Amino acid sequence: MSTVAIPHDIEPHPMTGMYNGKFGLWLFLASEVMLFGALFSTYVLLRVGAPAGTWPAHGSEILDIPKATFNTLVLIGSSVTMVLAWASLKMNDVAKGRLFLLITFLLAGTFLVVKYFEYRDKFHHHEVFVKEPVLVGGKEYMNVSGHLTEDSPALTRAPRRWAFSIPEYVLIVADGKYAAEGHGESGAEAGADHGHPEPIRIEGSNIHRLTDYGPWHSTFLATYFTLTGLHGLHIVGGMVVIFYLLVASPSMWNGRREKLINRVECTGLYWHFVDLVWIFLFPVFYLL
Amino acid sequence: MLAATQYGNYGLWSPPMVSVHGDGVDSLITTLHWFMFLLFVPWAIFFVYCLVRFRRRAGHTASYTLPKAKISKYGEIAVVIFEVILLVGFSVPVWAEYRTRPPVREDRLEIRMVAQQFQWNIHYAGPDGRFGRTSAEFISDVNAIGLDESDPAAADDVQTINDFHLPVGKDIYVRLTSMDVVHSFSIPTMRVKQDVIPGMEIPVWFKIKEDATSENLRAEMTRAYPIGRVRWDRLRHHIATEDYKDRTGQVLLAKGGSLGGTFKAGAELIDKLRQAGVAEISMQPRHPLELVCAQLCGNSHFTMKAQLVTHTPEGFDEWIAEQSKEVTFDEDF
Amino acid sequence: MSEAHAHDLPFWRKYVFSVDHKVIGIQYTITAMLFLFLGFSLVSIMRYQLAYPGRDIPVIGKLLGGSIVGQTETGYVLTGDGYNALGAMHGTIMIFLGVVPLAVGGFGNFVLPLQLGAPDMAFPKLNMASYWSFFAGGVVMLASFFVKGGAANSGWTSYPPLADIATTGQTMWLFGMVLLITSSLLGSINFIVTTVQVRAKGLSFFRFPFFVWAQLVTSFLLLLAFPPLEAAGVLQLMDRLADTSFFLPSGLVVSGEVQTQISGGGSPLLWQHLFWFLAHPEVYVLILPALGIVGEVIANNTRKPLWGYKSLVFATIFLGFMSFIVWAHHMFMTGMGQTLSTFFQATTMIISVPSVIILTCMIISLWGAAIRYTVPMLFALAFLPMFAIGGLTGLPLGLTTSDIQLHDTYYVIGHFHYVVAPGTLFALFAGVYYWFPKATGRKMSDFLGKLHFWPSFIFINGVFLPMFFIGMAGVLRRQFDQTEQLHGAAVQGLTVMASWSAWLLLISQLPFIFNFFWSIFRGQKVGANPWEATTLEWFAPSPPPHGNFATTPVVYCGPYEYSVPGQKSDFCPQNVALEA
Repeated sequence: MSTVAIPHDIEPHPMTGMYNGKFGLWLFLASEVMLFGALFSTYVLLRVGAPAGTWPAHGSEILDIPKATFNTLVLIGSSVTMVLAWASLKMNDVAKGRLFLLITFLLAGTFLVVKYFEYRDKFHHHEVFVKEPVLVGGKEYMNVSGHLTEDSPALTRAPRRWAFSIPEYVLIVADGKYAAEGHGESGAEAGADHGHPEPIRIEGSNIHRLTDYGPWHSTFLATYFTLTGLHGLHIVGGMVVIFYLLVASPSMWNGRREKLINRVECTGLYWHFVDLVWIFLFPVFYLL
Repeated sequence: MLAATQYGNYGLWSPPMVSVHGDGVDSLITTLHWFMFLLFVPWAIFFVYCLVRFRRRAGHTASYTLPKAKISKYGEIAVVIFEVILLVGFSVPVWAEYRTRPPVREDRLEIRMVAQQFQWNIHYAGPDGRFGRTSAEFISDVNAIGLDESDPAAADDVQTINDFHLPVGKDIYVRLTSMDVVHSFSIPTMRVKQDVIPGMEIPVWFKIKEDATSENLRAEMTRAYPIGRVRWDRLRHHIATEDYKDRTGQVLLAKGGSLGGTFKAGAELIDKLRQAGVAEISMQPRHPLELVCAQLCGNSHFTMKAQLVTHTPEGFDEWIAEQSKEVTFDEDF
Repeated sequence: MSEAHAHDLPFWRKYVFSVDHKVIGIQYTITAMLFLFLGFSLVSIMRYQLAYPGRDIPVIGKLLGGSIVGQTETGYVLTGDGYNALGAMHGTIMIFLGVVPLAVGGFGNFVLPLQLGAPDMAFPKLNMASYWSFFAGGVVMLASFFVKGGAANSGWTSYPPLADIATTGQTMWLFGMVLLITSSLLGSINFIVTTVQVRAKGLSFFRFPFFVWAQLVTSFLLLLAFPPLEAAGVLQLMDRLADTSFFLPSGLVVSGEVQTQISGGGSPLLWQHLFWFLAHPEVYVLILPALGIVGEVIANNTRKPLWGYKSLVFATIFLGFMSFIVWAHHMFMTGMGQTLSTFFQATTMIISVPSVIILTCMIISLWGAAIRYTVPMLFALAFLPMFAIGGLTGLPLGLTTSDIQLHDTYYVIGHFHYVVAPGTLFALFAGVYYWFPKATGRKMSDFLGKLHFWPSFIFINGVFLPMFFIGMAGVLRRQFDQTEQLHGAAVQGLTVMASWSAWLLLISQLPFIFNFFWSIFRGQKVGANPWEATTLEWFAPSPPPHGNFATTPVVYCGPYEYSVPGQKSDFCPQNVALEA
């Protein structure tokens, strides 16, 4: 080893009451607060400044609340198991400690899997913005959202862009979940159409813009994907560290026990923070 | 050559100043610089004094006990008080007028300006005072602002590119927007600067001093330049006020002509003039006032410039009336 | 305590992938100095275009690549895009790859643990990671010159929509910034924990050398101010790569094409707020370590304690705090109303107070001194009036009304360069000359040092003093050819003078470069404390071994016990109790 012995690597410092790693992690969390704070501020600024009709009145119009609620419980559970892991190690039970670390890892994985299904849904829904109003269920709309039928021509994305090249025509089933927007140049009223099973045909010449519900769809989805995506990356990062702890714990338990317990504690602090970010994200995007 | 001028000329320190609110801006800048100078000079003298008096030499040691320096505390407090005076007494009132008290709608001339990479598109409402509808779908090479010709209000609208005509002595209210990137509407001679941000319409207002018409300014800024000091770089936007001939009587530089379009052409002409024995040439700016873009907007940002032409109010009305009658070319023409 | 088998490490672990703070500090220093030279060279090319617009660039014109230079009938001429690319990269390289890595990464890493009496940083491996992250960021930034479209050319400020739609290496610039920000974050965590937790016994907060305070506050600024820029960078990457519209409003028409592929609804001002929220504290990151260095050199070469130590410390902390609430003074011209502009003008006026206090303390420290005119002292002394000029010229910029005329002109360029160039850079030179003996065990040549100092001082003023006049005359920033405009054409003579001063300034750096490398091998050998200084780093050997101190020092007194009455020598080290 080429590193020298550093004071207070393990014993707490009398003034701060923390060992170096813990202090360092709190500082890191302070910077993370600034990072997510900046992104939440972005959300506020964009929402307040959004042109009428481009921002959903409620997150539930576009986002899947049941899946997200389940995910919230999963993540809170993983925070609990993380604490239990540290507590078990503190009480000298390495087997239990490792078990709880493993459960935390699996719960985090579950979160990501559910997230994958949430994201994937977005790419199967489409929105068509038209030049001349289109009739849906007897009312006129300037944009129609829903699922494309199987008979609808295959879509290709424009070169080096995410928007779709305009096809010859589309066949779209307007979904109640993704309510069609109201008519008119003066802006939208949220349509109350609760699903119209028959596919509507819209000619390519009438299509102004055709997009799925990816981040490019609107600033709401851009913010949603960026924030939840960055949060997801933080979960992945945490999983990598937890995996390392799982693998390294047997050898560290016998040689550098204090160091291992401290590392688990610090990882726990980080994990609680990641959980906390989700506790903010969930109501802000899904419920408000 | 000419009598002392009212507006001065371009050169070191501030450019000529032709707007009404600009006096406030200039007086703050001047006051501030006197203040900075009065702070710096005594400080610098003290500094040099210390460097000389307290240099290490035989028989001289440093003193450990620290001097009591009440003067620095009082000095600091005085500086802070002065800064507050500048803020509250100068900056805030001028800014209030500049940004929060627009001239009333009835009295002002409204002009729309759409900034674009790399030109200023100017939209006048015309004699009827109503702006025609614009929309992106109508934008073309001959219709940069996308004016909807079918709108009756648009019949007498005037649009120009980089040709900015204004009346003196009247409140002018410019509605600024951009169609692509952030630009900045800047008229140095009027102490006006305003960022132009796409997606927003930001108004800016000012009033030009009564006698600051382009003709008057051109006359005022006429200068005689000794031929040895003439450089194309410095006088490329100027025109001669009389003919300059060579020894055979052939005109080298005509009245109203410029030194040429490139550095090479300019250098050749200056050479010819010198060889012809011309001692000095009298020149004036072709367009004394300019509107420039002050925010980096791409590779031709430096060329984004509109010529300002200031008229008497009557002259401006005539110009508008004439422009609004002009035939607009058919795209198939 | 040093580990015995440190000597057994292979070369690449001892000098390349080292976790020793001194090696890392030297790595930062040399890399940063190379980038400083590169950034200066870029602007030297630009200055040719500024002085002689549209003319053939002699000698090197044809060597420069296709994205920067085009061939016209006059010869090899800088293109508009090329000029903008050099400008954007000059700013980026100087700030993020030059000054901050040298001031914080170089000096902070090398000196801080030594001044704290610590064996190394709190997290040596993290320290190494922070250097390599910086290095990777630098490589990405340099590589951006060679991609299609060339380097980023939307200003170091990267304002959208221009930066969003630019078909250049802007994306690489963003990735480079993410790496650089990561490096800063890791470094700042290390510095704070080390300063608080790993300092020697007896070294209480009010016995810290001023350099330590300066670095501590700087680290907090880096830690808390950089993340919003990281967020903004992520958002701009999303705009460029994922077609989002964070910064793109509805209805954009670019080059005649209406943009229907994007959603619109975004705000260009959002970027400006996020960017300047970092970039204002960033300028204090640029100046604080320099103030720290100047404090050390002045105390040492006046042979007396710094005047007003407590004022210095509280002013520095207050400055750090205030730096977070002035950012929108960079945005006065965006259409700001009365309330917001008054708030930011007021905070900007207030923040000038601690700066003045710090400068005043430094100059009063000269009173009653016995000044030694060593090479570090020459640079430290020159810093003071240069920083004063830079600071004073901030006043017209900080008041909205005067800013109307001066915003985005060369006056701004003169203002900030005075603070960073004859300001910070001179302080950094002072630091190099001062701590070189500690790092290498040899002194740099005094003669070459003075040959470096005097021409640099003269020519650097020759470059930047005219800029106040050019800016007052109305000449705008980032202008490929100022003679396109009447007011620019009128003062072209000053621009030519500034360009010649810049080229002469570049040549004036040659004695320094030669001196630096030659002295490593042939400089006069010196012992542990050639400057007869009091702070702890001078009580480790020169150069210090792995682990720094043979026995951990204990501190008994303040950092500047010079010329204490009744003592045998004119300085008392911090780790020695004063004789009764």
